Amino acid sequence: MRPFELIAPTTVDEALATPGTFLAGGTTLVDLMKLDVLTPQRVLDINDLPLRGIDTGDGLRIGALERMSDIAAHPGTYPVISRALLLSASQQLRNMASIGGNVLQRTRCTYFRDVSSPCNRREPGSGCPALTGANRMHAVLGTSDSCAATHPSDVAVALVALDAEVRLVGPDGSRTVRLADLYRLPGDTPEIENDLRPGELLTEIVVPRLDWASNSTYVKVRDRQSYEFALCSAAVALDVRDSRIVDARVAVGGVATVPWRLTAVEAALRGRPATLATFSDAAAGAADGARPLSANGFKTSLLERTVVRALLELTEGDRA
Amino acid sequence: MTTTRLDAPLKVTGRATYASDHTFPGLAHGYVVVSTIAHGEIESMDVTAAKGSPGVLAVYSPFDPLELRTPSTAFLGETWVPLQDREVGYYGQPIGFVVAETYEQARDAAMLVEVTYRRRPARTSLQDGLATAEDAPPAMDGSPPSLSVLADGVESIEDALAASPVVVDATYRTATQNHAAMEPHSAVAVWEDGTLTVHSGNQGSDLQAQELANALQVDPAAVHAVNPFVGGAFGGKGRTSVPAFLAAAAARALGRPVKAALSREQVFTATAGRAATVQRITLGAERDGTLVAIRHDSWSSTALDRSFVEPTSHGTSREWYSTRNLAISQKMVPLTISPTTFMRAPGEAPGSFALESAIDELAVALDMDPVELRLRNNSTAPPGRDLQWSSKHLDECFAIGAARFGWADRSPQGHTDGDWLVGLGTATAMFPALRFPATVGITLRDDDTAEVATSGADPGTGLLTVLALIGAESLDIAPERITPRLGDSALPSGGMSGGSTATASTGTAIMVAAPKAIDELLALAAAPGAPFAGRDVSYADGRVLADGGSMTFGEVLRAVGRASVSVTGSSAPGEEMTKHSFSSFGAQFCEVRVHRWTREVRVSRMLGVFDAGRIINRKAARSQLMGGMIWGVSAALHEGLDVDADGRPSNADLAGYLLPVNADIGEVDVALVEHPDTLHNSVGARGLGEIGIVGMAAAVANAVHNATGVRVRHIPITIEDLLVPPVRGS
Ligand SMILES: Cc1cc2nc3c(=O)[nH]c(=O)nc-3n(C[C@H](O)[C@H](O)[C@H](O)COP(=O)(O)OP(=O)(O)OC[C@H]3O[C@@H](n4cnc5c(N)ncnc54)[C@H](O)[C@@H]3O)c2cc1C
Repeated sequence: MRPFELIAPTTVDEALATPGTFLAGGTTLVDLMKLDVLTPQRVLDINDLPLRGIDTGDGLRIGALERMSDIAAHPGTYPVISRALLLSASQQLRNMASIGGNVLQRTRCTYFRDVSSPCNRREPGSGCPALTGANRMHAVLGTSDSCAATHPSDVAVALVALDAEVRLVGPDGSRTVRLADLYRLPGDTPEIENDLRPGELLTEIVVPRLDWASNSTYVKVRDRQSYEFALCSAAVALDVRDSRIVDARVAVGGVATVPWRLTAVEAALRGRPATLATFSDAAAGAADGARPLSANGFKTSLLERTVVRALLELTEGDRA
Repeated sequence: MTTTRLDAPLKVTGRATYASDHTFPGLAHGYVVVSTIAHGEIESMDVTAAKGSPGVLAVYSPFDPLELRTPSTAFLGETWVPLQDREVGYYGQPIGFVVAETYEQARDAAMLVEVTYRRRPARTSLQDGLATAEDAPPAMDGSPPSLSVLADGVESIEDALAASPVVVDATYRTATQNHAAMEPHSAVAVWEDGTLTVHSGNQGSDLQAQELANALQVDPAAVHAVNPFVGGAFGGKGRTSVPAFLAAAAARALGRPVKAALSREQVFTATAGRAATVQRITLGAERDGTLVAIRHDSWSSTALDRSFVEPTSHGTSREWYSTRNLAISQKMVPLTISPTTFMRAPGEAPGSFALESAIDELAVALDMDPVELRLRNNSTAPPGRDLQWSSKHLDECFAIGAARFGWADRSPQGHTDGDWLVGLGTATAMFPALRFPATVGITLRDDDTAEVATSGADPGTGLLTVLALIGAESLDIAPERITPRLGDSALPSGGMSGGSTATASTGTAIMVAAPKAIDELLALAAAPGAPFAGRDVSYADGRVLADGGSMTFGEVLRAVGRASVSVTGSSAPGEEMTKHSFSSFGAQFCEVRVHRWTREVRVSRMLGVFDAGRIINRKAARSQLMGGMIWGVSAALHEGLDVDADGRPSNADLAGYLLPVNADIGEVDVALVEHPDTLHNSVGARGLGEIGIVGMAAAVANAVHNATGVRVRHIPITIEDLLVPPVRGS
């Protein structure tokens, strides 16, 4: 870790007036600073800013500094959100980590995290060893010839499924964007991960009201039962009336470079009976456009199976 | 006996001082610099920026080395020391050492060291090296890499297999692993008046002191190695670590105490780990399951220095089953990877995955119960050897295990429970019963306490408590009156805590020392002028007895004006080796659940039933065996160091190198059949430190086959292995 200046603004204005890197829970930032991947000269500890509160009046509004554990435990949170949070990281990390930091966390790609390796995301133009190297954990969707790193957040998948928006405040004013639109595909510029402008602060996450999302869940498939990132995950919500699917939300994680909404799968579910046959048919298109690498080809099949499992659990329950 | 570990309260309250907890006035901190290529030569190292960085005291490199010689000891042979040349043989090899006033300053400066290399191609694929594999050196017991035992009139193993009515033939693979002990390799070194004291977690303080004296070219009497607490070792702390060599040498050069510790990432490369293996096994059997022939050919990865070969054939098929014909071979493939060394059950752990999977495949081919097949081929002695097992109750282990686990309810096709496919698997476990030479000192004190002391280590195994328990029994006093001591090279030589030997080795030495101490006490008590002068004296219950009276040993010592009586006792393997074969035995059982759709494997129940002779401390024994079994699950489903084609490990931290977490481990049950084995040693205890891991990976793989119909012949088994047809249930 390189020496850096640490300051702790107490108002949003003060934070915006001082150029620097925001520190919330620090569970991504400090980690990457220790690895020399991030070397900010000035760090702004934003934990004293008034970016707190969980409001369930109309939809769900979550202050950027709310901790993962508190949101998961909040009674007004949609099941898909609290499940995604509870299946993330560990209790200790969830107590530390903020929701703002979570959706902006950096990829876990082993080459990105190791400064002795080339990495287009960390050092534009230096190359991508993952395309031929250790890529079992990498993405099959949304990849490019310069990067195939997955977006690691679980809760972002749930938020994208629910059409969440983020409120951003910057030196030039404030704006609201859909979380799904904030993320950028790697393309030729994998170093640009999102549309956040320099100095812009994420202040709040807003999930529009969706009453039937009370019927929602998150399934996370991984190599061990806890404390591990997803090989594949699915956030699903279903509006079922008289055994027919009126509406559906499906997004997947662990398989794509950004949280991946499956609108075609949603469309294929709508209006059909809530049966295994419907789920299997709809999920058959889930991996359309996938570009498997040497060691992650299994993710296309796993993706379909994860979506089916999540839909089944929602309609039949997790049987045993 | 069931005793809570004596060191447990210290450990769980954080009061046990591990090596790097030590601090001294003027302590400087070292950070190890490691290579970022796997193979080549260091052309130059620019250390200017590092030297100019705040707080830096020194930067050592092959161009400005610390003086260290390659130490050589009878027990360990040669041990590599860093910075002595510019060769790089693996990624993450120690190539520099930065010492500064604080740890952070040393680490920051280390990141400023610029290295240029002349690269040579990396070789990291065991598979690609199979064609050019070399014969392994002779095994630990001196046997050649290839050997066969053939029945009278049988010309070759091929003939024996050709004549077998049922044959299974398959190739199995196991992953590279690292011990990943909780305590990273670390050391604090202090020189005082020409004497070096090193605090460093290690498996044998006297061996460490010898290696350090040898490396630093000083009188062995001038090196004091101390390690009363070791935060896990598992074979990975047998040799002196790089931080210990560097801290000791830098402390001498700088005239200041120096602390050094590897980072977690460095532990995965700058120490030695477990080799990867490829094993081909061919079994030939009669239709009733009687084995006709076992052929087991093994290939092990090793480092360029050929540091260690995982003896998978010799560790398993050589001894495990009764068979008329046997042929085994062991080859090695030198690669540009980190050094290899012993890791819990070296040979037996990966070897048993292959052999016990193959036995399960044979059971399937014969349509026979896997327990029955194993018992049908239960041996009374290793194939081709006259020396019978001293005490073997493997059949009892299987009988108890099968009943306790509900094995009779197992269907050859597994069963389902909701969305989960459920299967049961079993495997045999064996681990040789060994002893190393050991000396123990006993001191009787005038306050009626006794000290039992040896230099050996307790890396979490429970040896400290064993010293107290066997000491108490041998001196006929309560364990609370014993002060056990270990982990200090100044104590009588206990050798290395490894090979599951410590209880048998030091326990036997205690049983030699105790009568000597008592004899000396009795001689003092009956000497002219002493309380029992000229009388017939005996000893029981901590007291000296004579006609008409008795005194505690403390009272006797006080009466004769002695503060204490000290003796030593030694033991080593001997005559018994010419009379019997020795091993611990076990039967492993496990239940797995595989998700119908997404194919995660979870172990819901496991049971190990073990025959390890007399059990000295049931509580610690049970914990030790549970830990081993859990490690077996880890090997089966989680652990593997992935090394890129260019030699870089891609998961060298505890987020990427997966170990099971609590949620992965269901019910763990351990049962012990206790038949003291006094033919092996007078304590009657055989080793049980390592046997818990043996067989468990195969039991998991066999259960996965039972659940899904998919036979996976490599570990770790991961989701993608089970997404392929044939699958049942979806
Ligand atoms: C071992 C381990 C396992 C993990 N497992 C999981 C897992 O299974 N699933 C999962 O989803 N996550 C997992 N995580 C990631 C963890 O959830 C994130 O590190 C955490 O959510 C980040 O939040 P933070 O508050 O600590 O962010 P910080 O580390 O403080 O910040 C992260 C980034 O966001 C920026 N930032 C933070 N807040 C703001 C803001 N308000 N406005 C603008 N920029 C901001 C920071 O500058 C930084 O770049 C794991 C992490 C670890 C270390």
